[in-house]
Amino acid sequence: MIRSRPLSDFHVEIEVYSGPYEWLLALILRHELEVFEVPLRELVDLYLRDRDEVGADTLERDTDFAGSATALVLLKSRSLFPAMEDPADGTEGEVSAEDLADRLSLYLKVRRGAEHLRGRFEEGAGYHPSGHALEPRKGRLRVDRRRLEMATRRMFSRLEEPSLAHIDRITLSLEELAAVIRGAIAGSGGRPLSYEELVRGMDRVGRALTFAAAVSLASEGEVRLLQEEPFGELRVMPA
Amino acid sequence: MMDGAGPEVLVEAILLVSERPVEEEVLLSSAGLDRDGLERALSRLLDKYDARSSGVVLRRVAGGWQLATNPRCAEAIERFRGEARPTPLSGAAYEVLSCVLYLGPMTRGAISAVRGVNSDAVVRNLIERNLLAEVGADEESPGAPALLDVTEDFLIAASAGSREDFPPLEELVSEEELARVRERLKDHASKEP
Repeated sequence: MIRSRPLSDFHVEIEVYSGPYEWLLALILRHELEVFEVPLRELVDLYLRDRDEVGADTLERDTDFAGSATALVLLKSRSLFPAMEDPADGTEGEVSAEDLADRLSLYLKVRRGAEHLRGRFEEGAGYHPSGHALEPRKGRLRVDRRRLEMATRRMFSRLEEPSLAHIDRITLSLEELAAVIRGAIAGSGGRPLSYEELVRGMDRVGRALTFAAAVSLASEGEVRLLQEEPFGELRVMPA
Repeated sequence: MMDGAGPEVLVEAILLVSERPVEEEVLLSSAGLDRDGLERALSRLLDKYDARSSGVVLRRVAGGWQLATNPRCAEAIERFRGEARPTPLSGAAYEVLSCVLYLGPMTRGAISAVRGVNSDAVVRNLIERNLLAEVGADEESPGAPALLDVTEDFLIAASAGSREDFPPLEELVSEEELARVRERLKDHASKEP
């Protein structure tokens, strides 16, 4: 017996969607496509055109489709009703005929505006802008003879020692700092020590040297450095 | 004038390399022209890019000027670029755009209230297409919901120079038609038990 194609093979081509029917259902359920934009009658016509007349499980496929299509009808009818609001919570209660007329008048105008926009968009759809945004052009190399001479002279002359006047004189040695770390760990009773605690009160050079001392001790296997995440807290503990 | 080229040549060159509409102020400063010179240049370019005889047209859109292909060449352009036109907007999408154009900036809730149905999914789609954008917040409403307004891309798509290029809302429906709506409502109300 020939088996008919499963419902998952049913492809839909409508104005607002093109693809498998099951994905259409998923999009509607996830509110990524409004059900009232889906022409249900067109959907049924498409299914009937796609339907296999003979097949062992045609009835099963029809039943699946009828079930999902009925759910769509229900959803669509619900979405077309105005939202029910509870008058007790401060929102509007019964709408007067005058208010309703005003609302309908406004909606009618908006609807006409929409029709006008559709016409304009359709007219404007054929225009393509003159060109794509251009990438900024890389600057051309302009060789300045004087600057070339200076660069050459600098390349072949002895480098001057850079000035270190802005750096404080280093008065601590790594050995001293290693001793500080050992002392702190010994006093912690085996508890991991925060690097921030270790360097509290030190200047930038002191902090950097303490870090170097900690790394040096870790490489010698005397301590372990722990950091659970990049840029996270750094802790020092006995190996 | 700059660069020894005629005003319209300068304006034409600037428009050619710009994908977005170029404001007149930018044209004035970039081309080094005065107001009269720019107007003459644009007038000559409008003649040159006459839609009846040119594959390129000069459009005044979104508060600026833009060179674009003639819509009559659209099919050939799309074949050449191997791309299809974007899916047309749905009726609901045009309604939301119309709401925001005429009544906006407004919140998602206000749009839904005018249309009588939840419009959030439609709004999301229009924001993705860059036809609507959040432009601020309604500070007086609880939770300060975002205010939506139409974008420059909307004006370009609608071939409009500005909001003023659209017919006023009041002119879209005649008084007679509105009176008929009221009459029908009144009849309906009187028949209700």
